[in-house]
Formats: sequence, C-alpha cells, structure tokens
Amino acid sequence: MTIVRPKSIYTVAKKEFLDNIRNRWVIILSILFVILVIVISYVTGGGQDLFGDMEASITALMGITSLLIPLIAIILGFSTISGEAESGALYVVLSYPVKRVEILLGKFLGLGSVIIFSTLIGFGFGGIVIGATSGLESWANYIGFIFLSIFLGFIYLSLAICISSFFKRRITSIGAGIVLVFWGLIYGMVMMAILLATGYSIDNLFTGKMPEWFFNSAVFSPGDLHQTAVYRLFGQTTVSFDMGQGTSSFAIPDFLNMVNIMIVHFIWLLIPLILAYIFFMRRDI
Amino acid sequence: MVSKTIMCPKCKNQMFIEGNPGEKKYITCSTCNTKGVFNFPKEEILGKSIEGPLAIEIRNLTKVYNGLKAVDNLSFNVKKGEIFGFLGPNGAGKTTTIKALLGLIHENSGEMKINGHNMKTNHIVAKKEIGFLPERANFYDNLTPVQTLNFFCELKDADKSVVIPLLKEVGLEEALNKKVGNFSKGMRQLLGVAQTMIGNPKIYILDEPMGGLDARWVKAIRDKIKMLNSQGATVIFSSHILSEVQNICHRVAIINKGRLIAQDTVENLNDYLKIKPRLEITIKNLEGKVPEFINKIEGVESANIEGNILFITCNPQTKIKVISALEEAGFQIDNLKTFEPSLEEAFVKLIDMDRSGAQ
Repeated sequence: MTIVRPKSIYTVAKKEFLDNIRNRWVIILSILFVILVIVISYVTGGGQDLFGDMEASITALMGITSLLIPLIAIILGFSTISGEAESGALYVVLSYPVKRVEILLGKFLGLGSVIIFSTLIGFGFGGIVIGATSGLESWANYIGFIFLSIFLGFIYLSLAICISSFFKRRITSIGAGIVLVFWGLIYGMVMMAILLATGYSIDNLFTGKMPEWFFNSAVFSPGDLHQTAVYRLFGQTTVSFDMGQGTSSFAIPDFLNMVNIMIVHFIWLLIPLILAYIFFMRRDI
Repeated sequence: MVSKTIMCPKCKNQMFIEGNPGEKKYITCSTCNTKGVFNFPKEEILGKSIEGPLAIEIRNLTKVYNGLKAVDNLSFNVKKGEIFGFLGPNGAGKTTTIKALLGLIHENSGEMKINGHNMKTNHIVAKKEIGFLPERANFYDNLTPVQTLNFFCELKDADKSVVIPLLKEVGLEEALNKKVGNFSKGMRQLLGVAQTMIGNPKIYILDEPMGGLDARWVKAIRDKIKMLNSQGATVIFSSHILSEVQNICHRVAIINKGRLIAQDTVENLNDYLKIKPRLEITIKNLEGKVPEFINKIEGVESANIEGNILFITCNPQTKIKVISALEEAGFQIDNLKTFEPSLEEAFVKLIDMDRSGAQ
C-alpha cells in the first residue's frame, strides 16, 4: 500500500522551490505583479477623494491578481512533469527511493510555496501603501483577499500540473497551458454568447435583468469564481458595471454564497490533482 | 530443457522445438517434410542458472510499445560482485529493460529483483542500494551542482558531507556554484556520475556511461568502474560500443530486438563461436607459398598468403609456436600483427546467427 512519507515530500518541495524561485519568467511576472500592486494601491487608496476606500483598491487589484497569479501558476506547473520526463531529470529522480505520489505532492507544495512567496511580497508592499494612505480598518478583509488570491493560484497550479502529467511532451503542455490562460479570458464572452443565443439582449445589461444561471455559471471559471468570492468577502451583494450611460447593478444570486463558493474552490483544486495522480502513476517515463 | 522456435529454411514454416542444451536434434518440417538438424546452443550461451548470490534478477520481461515488442520475454541475472556488460545494437531494448527494472515504465509482464527485493512491492528499499546513471543525464537548470547533490542525498537519507568531495572527484570543482543549466553535455554526465556514488551503493546500474564523453573521461570511467568493483560493488552497464566493454566485464549479456541471444564470459563466447586469434606475419623470403610445416603445427586452423604476408588463424597457445617455427626454418620476420578475438566479432556473429537462424 502506498504510505506517503512527509520527509520525501518536503525534500521534493524544497528542491522545487529552490529551482523555480529562480525561474526567469516567474521572477519577471512577480516583479510586474509587485509594481502593479504598489501603483494600484497608491492610486486608489491614496486618492481617497477619488475612489474612497480600501474596497476600491481591492476591486482594482482583483483585475491584476486574477490575470497574473494564474499566469505565474501555469508557468510554474505546465511542464513540471512533461518537461522533466523529456529532459531526463525525472528519470534520475525515480531511480531514488521516492514514490511517484510523493513527487507529485512535493511538486504541488513546492511550486505552491513559490506562488505564496510572490503573492505575499506583492501584497505586502501593497498593504504597506494602502495602510499608509487609507488606514488599516479592513485589514481582516485584506488578509482574506490575499488568501483567496493564493487559493486561485493553487487552483491554476493544480490544473497546470494535471496538464503536465497528461501530455507526453513539453511542447504540447505549452499548448494546453495557453488554452488554460485563454479559458479564463474568453469565458465571459462565451457565456455572453450563450446569453444572447437564449433570447436575452444587450439591453438587459442596462436594465439589470439578467438570469441567475448567468451568474451561477461562474463555477466553471476559477477566475470569475474568485472575483465573486472577493465581492462576497467585502460584503457586497451586488455587482456594479459602469455602462457609460450610468451604472447598472446586479444582485449576486444566493447560490453563490461564501460556503458554496469555497466548496467549488476545493473541487477545482482537488479534481485536477487527483487526475494528475492517475495520469502520472500510469505514465511511462 | 530449453525451447526454441525455428524456421524451416525451405518453406519458412515456424516450428516450436524442445531439447537439452548442447543436444543435436533431428527435425522434419511438418509442412514440407524437409529434414534438418538443429544444434541446441551450449547452456551458457542461453544463460544458465549461475552460482552465487544475485544482485539483479530479470525474469520473463516483456514490454510492448505501440504493438511492437521492445523487450521480448527477456531473462538474465547479474551476480553479486561482477562487472556485467549489457550489450546490444542501438534500439535493441537495453534502455527499456533498465527503465522497466527501475519501475519507470510499466512492463506487460515479468518479475524483477534487485538484491532480492521485488521491484514491484519493495522498490523503495531496493533503490536505497543502487546508484543509477541514465543515458543522458539531466538535472535542474536553476540549481547548482551542490544543491542538486544535496537534494539526492536527502532523498536517499545519505550523508551530505560527501557532496563536495564527490564533485571534486569527477572534476567539477570549478563549477560548484554555477547553475547546472549552463553546463555542457559532458559536465552534466560528470554530475550524473557523481550522483551515482551517493550513499555508497552496492549495485551500480549505468546506461551507456561513456556515451558523449571524450577519450580521457572514457578511461576515467572505466578505471572508476574497476575501482568500485574492487571495493565489492556490482556494476552492470549497457553499451553498444564493444571496445568499451571488452576488457573490464566479467560477463556479458547480448540482446537483439528485445531478446537475449547470449549470456556468458567474453572468452567462452569466442570459444563457442570458434573465433580465434589471427596472425599477420610479413616475411621477406616467403617464396610465394605457405611453408608446409605450418599446417602441421597443432592448433593451426588455417594459413594463407597474400604477397609476402602470411595469414594464420590458430589457438591462442599456438601463436608463439608458429613464430618460433618460422624463425627456426630461417624465415626473416619483418613485421607481426596479432588480432585477438574481439567481442565485436562475437557480437556480429551472434546477431547474424540470430537474423538468419532460428526466429
């Protein structure tokens, strides 16, 4: 029977952290992330007259996190197994007394630590700027926001590792990674197309009459789910869009309450990881 | 009792026959009634059950890739304390066999043991006792060699104080803090060699260890293998370059198209295949014919001339007799070349036999 040994997992995790914290692309994206967080925090939090409060900062930050954090996670994970299998590094590791499940968990935790590291640096600086300019009244929510952002990163990491253990070659993994990035970007458009195809019109956006399923479909897109979770975290029950001719507000359906959102988060985290385990165990290296 | 599938030379009908090693078997083709004889190879050629404790046991290993048998019912053993050459042409299934042994690929059937540990149920224990070098060693681009070896030490629960000495030993002392991503192919191979020695394993499994290295390092690795072996380690290494193997292996296994075609010592293989030393003697006063007394010397198999060069095939012990007989008879020897039976010849002959003979 498979008994997982924490020491081996820790050893693999430490190696992954040391190796990937020096990954050029991860460093570039992390620096970009830190700069954007500081700028946005300063602009939105600093000009209280302009935007008001911390919530405004968070809403603006969310746009950055839901793009950059998944991107960092995908870059970390997309070839962690396929790339090492192709280069031959995995061939050496598997000749050592370590189980495949330990390698997989070690990779997840080690690469996850890189995500935590980048995210905390970015939000640490952001927090200092926000704290200095608009005060620390909603610090608990800020920490909640950091937690949700890291969770989003973990979901994408889990998806990326799944891709990496399924595809045989690094190059096909890259393709699948790009598809994954685009899924987050085009999902809104896909749902909008379905909305229009089912008899709704653009006018509904202005009048605020939208079907509940349109909002509930966020469960199929971790990025949208993340944004809904952040709205809930800050106690918002409506989502407002500036439509150019005035804002229209939509109520977030009851189904997307915090408990359900977190359950769906865990499903998004675990299913790809379990699939990754199955693919990796069956794989010929 | 061994079994073999053979092909009728006339009608290409395939037949399954059984017999004892060394036995002459008279066969009649079941379809065209052609009569023939099949000589069962001597036992050691097929791989006899060898004496002594075993380091590696491979039993009936079969691996099919996309409908093709990469390894076909392969069995062989490696004794503790020997240097074992695992030979075959490119694509014969050597790497597949090693990968299956280490559990990197899922074999279709077969049972493998290292140091008596079943690799299916007990691979964690077995892997603590081996050092493995893959055909193209590769590591993590952003780690230094020190970090890389520290990682392997931790995986093996081995003492990390050996890391720097090991890196110095393989000649990487100037690259200790460089990123492995900037290493050349040869340097990666050296790092690969260093990692095999972590934790002083009892068994070394080396897949084409000299591939991609220059002559200086080929010699260094050969010396290293001998040294490890003299300290009691078992070494199995695969190769398709036979000159690398010839002088250091106690025994060899030769595979072709995934099947074992021979397993024995190099001398026994040559003996069985009747491959003998050859002499090329340049003689000034040869007078255009083979001196009559040459063919009368016991152990001389054949003698021919071409110009003023005398070609002789004989037993190893007969070489000196031939030379002194020539000198006594007053022939002036200008030059002498001897060709010792090489593994290369055995290899080529076996593979030819495998192609033309029994399927």
